[in-house]
Parts: sequence; C-alpha cells; structure tokens
Amino acid sequence: MKYLGVVVMLVAAVAATFLPAPDPADPGAVPATEAPPVAICPILQAGERSTSVSVLSSVNGEGRLSTFAAGSETGALDFRTGRLGAVTIAAADVGAVGNAGGLVEMPSETTAAAVVVAGPNSRAAESCADIPEGQIFISGGSTAGGELFAIQLINPYAGEAIVNLTVTTDTGLESNDQFNAVVVPPLSTITRDMNEIIPGRETISANIETTRGSVLAYGRLTSDGEVAVWRAVAPGDNWWLPVPEGAGTKQMVIATPENSEIEYQVDLFGPDGYVEGHDTGVIAPRGRVVVPLAAVTEGAAGVRVITTGPVVPALRIDSPHGLAWTTASPVDATVWLLPGAGAPPEGSGSVVVLNTGIETVTVSIRALGESGPVRELEVDAEGVLVADLVAADGYRVEASGPVVALWTSEFGASRSAAIGIPLQDG
Amino acid sequence: MARALADDETLDEVSDAPRVRVVITAVADADLEAAMAVVGRQVYEPAPDVVVVVVGEDLDLDAGVATAETLEEAIGSTDSSFDYVWLLHADARPRPDALGALISEIERNEASLAGSKLLKAGTMDELESVGGATDVFGEPYSGLDEGEIDLQQYDVVREVAFVQSASMLVRRDLAQGLRGLDPLLPPVAAGLDFSQRTRLAGGKVISVPSSEVYHQARCGQRGKGWREQAGRLRAMLIAYRPLTLLWVVPYDLLVSVFDSVASLLLLRWQPLVRHLLSWIWNLIHLYSTLRQRRRLRSIRSEGDEELFRFQAKGSIRLRTIGEEVSGRVLSMFDDDQALARRSRRLWGSPGIWGAVVAAVIALVSARAIVFTGMANSGLSFPFEPATVALERWFAGWNEAGLGSSAPVHPSVGLTGLLSLIWFGAADAARALLTIGTALVGIIGVGRLGGRLGLSGPGRYLAGLVVIAGPGTAVLVGRGSWLALAAAAFLPWAVRATFVHPHEFGRSRLTYVGWALLTALVVASFSPLLALVPLLVVLVWRLFGGDRGGVLLGLISVVGGLSGAAFLAADPRWVFDGSRAVYAPVDQLWPILILVGAVPLFLAEGRIRTVGLTGGVIALTMLALARGLALGPGLQEAVLITGSLGAALVVAAALDSFSRDPVRLVAAVGAAAIMVVSLGTVGNGRLGLPDGDLNERLAFSVTLADDHGPGRILYASVDRDSIPGEARSGPGFWYRLLDGQGTTQDEVWLPERQEGDERLETVLAEIGSGAELRPGAALAPFAIDWVVLEGPTFVLDEALRAQLDLVPTPLDPDSRVYENGEAAPLAGNDEVTWTRSGTGFSGDRTDGDVSIAFNHGEGWEPDGTRADWSGSVDGSPGRAWYSPQSIDYVPPGATLALLVGAIGMIVWGRRRP
Repeated sequence: MKYLGVVVMLVAAVAATFLPAPDPADPGAVPATEAPPVAICPILQAGERSTSVSVLSSVNGEGRLSTFAAGSETGALDFRTGRLGAVTIAAADVGAVGNAGGLVEMPSETTAAAVVVAGPNSRAAESCADIPEGQIFISGGSTAGGELFAIQLINPYAGEAIVNLTVTTDTGLESNDQFNAVVVPPLSTITRDMNEIIPGRETISANIETTRGSVLAYGRLTSDGEVAVWRAVAPGDNWWLPVPEGAGTKQMVIATPENSEIEYQVDLFGPDGYVEGHDTGVIAPRGRVVVPLAAVTEGAAGVRVITTGPVVPALRIDSPHGLAWTTASPVDATVWLLPGAGAPPEGSGSVVVLNTGIETVTVSIRALGESGPVRELEVDAEGVLVADLVAADGYRVEASGPVVALWTSEFGASRSAAIGIPLQDG
Repeated sequence: MARALADDETLDEVSDAPRVRVVITAVADADLEAAMAVVGRQVYEPAPDVVVVVVGEDLDLDAGVATAETLEEAIGSTDSSFDYVWLLHADARPRPDALGALISEIERNEASLAGSKLLKAGTMDELESVGGATDVFGEPYSGLDEGEIDLQQYDVVREVAFVQSASMLVRRDLAQGLRGLDPLLPPVAAGLDFSQRTRLAGGKVISVPSSEVYHQARCGQRGKGWREQAGRLRAMLIAYRPLTLLWVVPYDLLVSVFDSVASLLLLRWQPLVRHLLSWIWNLIHLYSTLRQRRRLRSIRSEGDEELFRFQAKGSIRLRTIGEEVSGRVLSMFDDDQALARRSRRLWGSPGIWGAVVAAVIALVSARAIVFTGMANSGLSFPFEPATVALERWFAGWNEAGLGSSAPVHPSVGLTGLLSLIWFGAADAARALLTIGTALVGIIGVGRLGGRLGLSGPGRYLAGLVVIAGPGTAVLVGRGSWLALAAAAFLPWAVRATFVHPHEFGRSRLTYVGWALLTALVVASFSPLLALVPLLVVLVWRLFGGDRGGVLLGLISVVGGLSGAAFLAADPRWVFDGSRAVYAPVDQLWPILILVGAVPLFLAEGRIRTVGLTGGVIALTMLALARGLALGPGLQEAVLITGSLGAALVVAAALDSFSRDPVRLVAAVGAAAIMVVSLGTVGNGRLGLPDGDLNERLAFSVTLADDHGPGRILYASVDRDSIPGEARSGPGFWYRLLDGQGTTQDEVWLPERQEGDERLETVLAEIGSGAELRPGAALAPFAIDWVVLEGPTFVLDEALRAQLDLVPTPLDPDSRVYENGEAAPLAGNDEVTWTRSGTGFSGDRTDGDVSIAFNHGEGWEPDGTRADWSGSVDGSPGRAWYSPQSIDYVPPGATLALLVGAIGMIVWGRRRP
C-alpha cells in the first residue's frame, strides 16, 4: 500500500504544480457608458441682460432645468418639450441671479439646448453642451480697445473640479497664479475677468485642462455694450463654418493650443464656387491666424478648415448690427437643431446652410414653436443657402445630404450668431 | 585474565596481572607528595610505576621519581611492558582499592577506558561524578542532584558517554594512539574529549563506581566556567563528522543565544559572557582543533552514531533553563516543591523543547497583535457584543449586506460565547483567541503526533505548519481569521478520532464526547472541516495505521451539525467558485511536501505511516485547490486540510534525527516547509494582514446625521480590496458595510434576495453613467457613503458627472462620496430608530416604520412587505425579528450536542 501512497503523492504533486490555476473570478463586463443627455449653459442674469434657455427635441418628453451658483441649486423647473418639441424658459423663472450655471436634463439624446442673452442693446446666443473629454480651447478674446473679456468656468456636478488655464496672448504665454489650479466648487461658476488679470492684450486664447472633476468654459466678450458668448470646444483638425451675409467685418480666427507649428488650409465655398486652398499657411506654436472673410464677399459663404494639428476656428462678425462670435463645427450632418433661433421681436434672423456634399440637397427648415412653418429648399452642391427666420423657440433643419447650419439674429445694434447642434442619428 | 590482588591471594598468583603506569598530573595548589603517597598505598600488584607530569612547574620531587614535561610525553615514554595507564590528578585521593577495582572491571568488561567514582573531598561522601551522559553539544549530564550523598545507589558498572579525567584508566596502546588528554582542555572537557575519541576509536568507556576517588577539585570548577564550555565546543568540533557539524554548530549557536537571552531575563549575565568567550576561544584555536581532527581521522573506526547512543535528546542547557523558570513560577504556589519536581520530568520530555521553541516562535509571530491589537481587514473583523452575537446566532436576524433571515456563520455563536466568558470584552477575547489559536495549533499537532506514535520535538514544531502552512497561509494572508482558528483546532478534532493505547479500556463516552466537542468547535469555524477527521482516519488506515477509529470519525461528522444550517441556507457557499477569494497556492509547496514525504515511505513503522498519510492528504488537497474552482467553504476546508497534511509530514520527518540519507532528505524537505511557513507569519500578526478598515471608515459614525450611521457601499475592481465576501457588479466588485463598523458576523453575505437584485440593477445603471442622481438611487438602501477603492474604474468615471454624491476627501487611500439623501436604516418621515440588539428602537409613531433590510417574514410588530424591504408598526417604538419555530432547531440541536458532548466527557472520566 505504501507504493500506492507514493504514486498518489507524485500524481497529486504534479497536478498541484502544473495544473493551470483557476482564473480569478471576474466581476463581469464593464457596462457601456451611457452619459445622461444633459447640457450645461451659461446664465447671465444681471443688469438689463437676461437669459432664456431654449430646448428643442425630436421627442415630446420631460426634462428639467436647474440653475446653480455658489455651491447650491438656486432653482429648478421641470418642463415638457410638447408636441412641437420646443420650449423656451426664462432663467429668471428658475431663480437664476448674476453669473450662474444652468443644467438642462434633456428628455432624449436627440435634444439640444441653447441660451440667448438679450439686453436693450445686446444679443448673444450660444448652444449649451455636455462637457467634452480632455482639453478644451477658446480663442478670440481681447482686453484692449475697450473690449472686456471674461472666461466663465462652470462646474454643474457634485464634485469639486480643478482646472489649469494656459493663456496665450499677443505678448506670449501668460504666467499668473490665477490661471493655475483654479478650483471650481461643486454647483458653481468661476469667472476669470481677463481685464483685471491681463489688461491690454489684443488677442487672448486659453487652453483649459481639467485635472479633477468636470468643467465647461464659455468666453464672454463685451464691446460697446454689445455682448458675445461662445463656448470652448475640443480642438480638431477638420472644421466647417457657414458664414452669414452682411456688411461689416467678418473674420475667421484659427488658433491652436499646440506648442508647435501647424499647417492649415482654408477652402472657400463662395460666390465663385468652391475654391480649394483659398488660404494656406502655418500657424505659429500657440499662435493664431486671421482669415478676412469680408474681403471675399459680403454674401453668405462657407469655409472648410483642414489642419495638420488641433485648432479651433471661430467666426467674429463686427457690423453695424453689433458683435457676434461663434465657433465652427467639426462635423456635418443631415439634421441640425437650432435652439433659440428665430427673429427677435422687431428684429430679423436668418439661417445659413452649407452643403458640404457634392450633390444638390433638399433642405427642410422647420420653425419649432407655436407656429411651425416649414420650407423646403434646395442647396446646390458645395453651395450655401440663406433663409430668413420668423419668431420661434428654435429651428430644425433637415437635409437630404450632409450640411452645416448656423443662425444669426439682429435687433437694433445687436447681433448674435450661433452654430447649430447636429443630430448624428437624426 | 588479570585481576586485582585479593586478600587471600599471594603475589605469585598475580604475577601475570596487568602492569600499570600511573601518570599523575600536577595541579596547582595540590599536594603532589600526598598524591604519590596514596598511589603508593594502592593494594595492587605488581606495584604501579609512577610518573609525574610537571606542566611547566618546578616541583621539589624525590630523586627517582620520573617526570615528564607533558602528558603526551609521559604516555609516549610508557613502554610496551605496561598494559594500562592510570591518569590521575594530583588533587585526587583514590582509595587503596581504587586501582584494583578499575583494573578488574576494565578487564571484565573488555573496556578501553574506565573512570572512577569521584567523591568530593572533605564532604560526607558527596558525589561529584559517576560518569555521565551528555547532550549532542557535550553538555554533561550527571543525573546527580546538588549535594547528593553516595549511598551506593549508582554502584553498577555501566557504559557512559564520558568519565572525568581526575581518575581514569586507559589501555596503554589506546592512550598512545590518542596521545593522551588534550592539553588545552580543562579537566571535565578533557575527560569528555578523551572519552569521545576513545569511543570513536572503537573503545568502550565505562564507569567503575567501586573505584572511589576523593577529588579536591583544585583542578577546575567542577565543569563550570567558560573554559569548560569552550572545551566542550572544541571536543564537539574534534569528534563529529562534517555532516553532523553542519547542523550541530548552528543548533549550538541558537541554543547559546537562547541560553544567553533567557539567562539575562533571569538576571544572570555570566552565560552570555561564557558563550561569547567560548566561541572566541574556539575561533582562536581553530587551527589546533583542525589538527586534532586530522589526528583522530587516522584512528577513527566508528561513526557519530556511537556517540549519539549515549547522548540525551535535546539540549540539557535549555532543559535546565526550563526547569529553573517553571521552578521559579511553581515555587510561588508550591511550598513543598512537588510540582517543581514534576516539572523537571516535563522538561526531560523529548518533545517539550520543540513545543517551547514553536510556542516562542508563535508568540513572536503574534507580537504586533500583543502590542497594537487586532487588525480589521480582509476577512477579520471585531466580534459583536456577546449578547448580540449569541442572539444573532440563535436564529436571529443576519444583518450582513441588506440582511436576511438566513443563519449567520456558525462562528458567531462561538465568538459570542467566548466574549461572554471574557466578561463581554469582545476585543480582548478576539485578541486572546487569535494569539491562543497559534498555541492551540502547536499543541494540537504535537498531541496528534503523540497519538500517532511520534515522540520527538518535530511534532510540536509542525504545529507552526498547520497555522502557517501551504493552505492556511494563503487564506490567512487574505485576512481569514476563521481559517487560522479552524486550522488551530482541526488537529484536536483529528486527534479525538485516534485512541491512545494507554487509554484502551476507558469509557467510550469520553472518546465520543471529545470527538463531538472538537468537531463542533472546528465546524463552527469552518463547517466542512468536520469531515476531515474521518478522512484522516481512512487514509491512515489505508496505509496500515491502527488506533484510528472510523466510528469516531463518523461521530466527528455529526459534530458538523454546528455548521449545517449555514450550509443548507447557502449551498453555493460550498460550490460557487466565483465567491471564493483568489488564493492560488505557490507551486513551491507541492515540491517541498513531496521532498519531505516521499522518502518517508522507506522509513519504518509509524514514521512511514504518518508521513504517507500527511503527504497524500496535503498533496491531494493542494491539487484539488489548484485544479478546481471551489466555493469559499470548500476552498477553506481543502486548503486547511492541506496544511494539516503538511504538518504531519513535518512531524514525521523531524521526529528523530537519523543519519540515514533518505531520512535526511525528508528532514531537509520538512525544514524547508518550516522555513517557508515561518516566512508567512513574519509580519507579527500570524500572517493576518495589517490595517484597520473600521478606523478608516470611522467618518461614517463621526459625520453621521440624525439618522445615525447607515451603510457604506464599498466597491473596487480589486477583489482583495473588498473586506469579506464581495458581490460582482458590472465590471467591479462591491459589498455593503455597516456604517457603524463591520463585525465578524458580516464577513459572509447571505444568498441574494430581492433587495440585492435591486441594488445590483441600480449599480449597473450608475456604472453606465446614465444615472445623474446616484445618491437618490442608492437612498432606499440606506447607503450614506460610497467608497471606491484601488485603481480607478467605471464607477469613478460614472461619479465624475453626477449631482448628489458629494466627493469628500476623508480617506487618502480611497475615493469617498457622501450621500446626503440616504434613508435611515429604520424610520419614517417623523422618526428615526436606532439599533437595539438585533432590532431597532426609537420614538413611538402612529405610522409604519420602514426597515431598510430585505423583507423578512419575522419582523415584528406587524411586519409587512414594502417593495423589496419591509416596514413595521411604529406604535410600540421598537422592532425586532422573531424567527419561525423551525429556525430554532439547528442552533438548539447544536447546543444539545455541545452539552451532551461535555456531559459525556465528564461522565466518562468518572467511570473507571
């Protein structure tokens, strides 16, 4: 029997040594991330300026707008987008005061929101958005020539956020403690008034890197009482920009946060048709170039920017009707939502649709609101369409091919421009 | 052939008697002329020739007295007409018949070396030496008590390990071959060295009590002093072969250290100095020692076994210390020293030093527990208050996770009982029990080894393997306090199934009682271990062992009743591999066990049976643990049983020293198992991990709102980071912890119920990032805090963008979120109730009070289901869980068995 014991021991020892050990228990697959459909908006409710939040949706669903400041919710309002899929809420109705943040909990992914900041002599519009991953970048600010520029950092969530700002101006890279490790408390907004920190700068761009939490940044430029608001976005290397018609200065600013030279090419969809390589050149490290579009045409046009590195192009319009800023779109799509779009009372508005494809497309422009006129128009291949807007909560643009949409409004000496929000899945 | 001159014999008749040359060694302050005079009065013919060794002294000797400068010269000059040389110190005064007696007995016994009985000069025949034994280090053991009078009680000629050099008769040819006494050695050591060399040369060493010599002891300090100690070390270095020296020298070094330390504790500094000087002296004289070894090699005809035959087991020095310590302690209660005398017998037991060394190692291994208390991490947490634990065990509410009516782990009852015995001091009981488990394990394996027929120190040392061996170490390393306790008590349960031959005929009730009692205890710590005693008996019998009782093994299985209800309520605990901790056994272990066990099959008798039994059990269990994904219960039992098997292998391999190469290989394997085992307990916590999770999470109590501390959701991708059992979530592990501190009863989670399923759904939604208000989603589960541990994972990402869980930097090692919206564990909009025993109490209220536990039918008063949880009538101001009658059966039966087992033991002992 002792030999049996030895055999058993040998076999067991071999098994205990060479059998593959059971795999450690697996906690299961990581669920697919489904970020809730939310949009974060800048709210300015001070002096004679007030903010309204427009929400457009392809569904008739419930949502909630909450405003917050200084670490707590200042108000909340449940809403329903209704049969027409549009609702506009005055921020004052939600208890917002001063510089605040707004969080729109939207009924579906196919929903978009935007703010319209209006005053007696000023008007600005910009889309609200969820917070993108990684760095975001904003350019176009100035603290010289009587212009006032501020960056508003919004943290809508329960966790504290910390951001670092890399600010580049015409004098070079700015070094200031107020740009480093900026703490944005939960449910708060922090405004960095650049005129106090770095006055007298002709051009300002800022790269915003979040090291903890989540922060969305907006730039606000005030000039002669007119205000423009535009959002910091993630840099990219391929951009589309419809350019509205009108007199005045229309210029596109292309800036990069990269500390290296970047080649760029601007293709123009203008009166002479498509002009490939309308402008090419090199952007200096952390630099910017200005492409004067008004010199090309006073009419509507379209621009495509292709670069060898990350950039953000933005459109600045200075006209007798006021100042407007908006960023280009990194994508084209067949469906665009233009929340807030419409003609203000006693003012006018227009939508500019750029056909990015090589075929003529049919564009359906639907006003969302109590009255909902629909216009069916055709846009030539690589052409631009301008259509007037009527008063509405917003517009929905659908096309048979890929397009990019931007809307503007004018009222007295004030003007706004805002790029639309694409719906990738319609 | 030759004999001493008898009274009635003539000179002619003894003319053929052996001729003797007396070599008197001059001793400082000794009267040489007196010594020569007593030699001259020896009644022996032919009259011996006398030569005096003058060691560098200028002595005034009569003309005609031969002298020599050295002992070697004196022996070398002895011509072949002499048969014997009588080596005599100048301070020795032999009786007239001393030489005759030596001659007579050395001839009769065909010995080569004979020593006289030494009596202390100037006393009433007080004994100094009758020859003696030594231990392996040469430490002399005379067996004489201090001041013992010669009443002829030792007057029998016998072989001894050594005789003293004060009076020894040696064959002339052998003396010349050995070149006499080593001049560097003091008297006792010289005698020892000469005796050992004589024996290795093939001679026999005897003590001749009829040859009485009064010894003035001017030559030395009766074997004391550092020179004697150094001499013994030199004698050892000269005599032993290299293989023996390989283990004897380190062993001696260890003993020296222990002796020094223990003596310092006894307020004696001299041993430390003696040891130091001894080693230094030998280092200085190392060349001379090597020369002596070379000389011995040419005449050596015997192996070291010849020396081992006359040596005591273990260390005489350590035994002396043990006797002294126990004597001092016992003398406090023991006026007549009866106990102290008995303790001396104890220290003479061969296994006792194994037990002492193992116990010291165990205590050192538990030092951090002694100084800083128990850690709370892994699977080891504080005991609940005694009454609460007992209430919970006796069919009470199981509060782990979201709660259940399922029985708690059976250990809860035992820990509650221990806390109760320890006057309710649960923490003290826990620390003492943990430290005690090490000692229980050591003694248990030692006693089991004794039952299996082993007697050496190895069986106690093997106790360290059962608590720190291959399987136990893996579990304990992951914080399983229960595994440590179960491993410690398992040998006792196995022992109870083996009947000692001396106990045959005693009442069977006692055996049954012990088998039941030990199995009940073991099964309380690890339910499936109740099967192991039967398993061991069967394997033991398979290899031809006796004493093992299958019936007693079956009775042990009955003792497993203490864990049966727990197993029945959650059978997946046995088989579901996904619930077990990841505990792969190092691949080194099977190899070491194989090296230790396989050679033992060539050994004889019980050592072979024990070795084979242990080896088969250990290796089979390790193979099972490696090859199969076992549930926590089975994994625990298999790994602990593996350690027990390894301990049996070590016990058998180290039971006694043998020069047999096969046994040596087994001993090396066993020693390696020991060393690796000790490595796992080196952290000072018997291998249990460090850290105090309850302290880390104490913010849940200090920052608790009016609701009081609720629950903590603890999540990580690292399974080992989760205390106790973890549930698998979508891409991470998690579990709920009690906000007021996790206790031992919560380590294992009961089967999933509706609330658990609901929580999993909520967590999946939160993990997907779709839940903007996770705090509100977790609120019904009374989750006040979310703690994310280890590397960042999907929940970190999901909680980055949410609205109501506030990140709070309370713990630098984890990410903590506070949920300000959590519901209380028990309460409604008006009142919040706090814990009271296993229930809740608070202000009376007209409405129902929600209880954030899985719904259980027994909640009173008027418990009703509210979704997955329940509510009770709030008017009495308290809620309690009232189990169904049938739920009382398992704990009741366990209690009955416990009482019955104790009764059988007591009753059985009374009966002859």
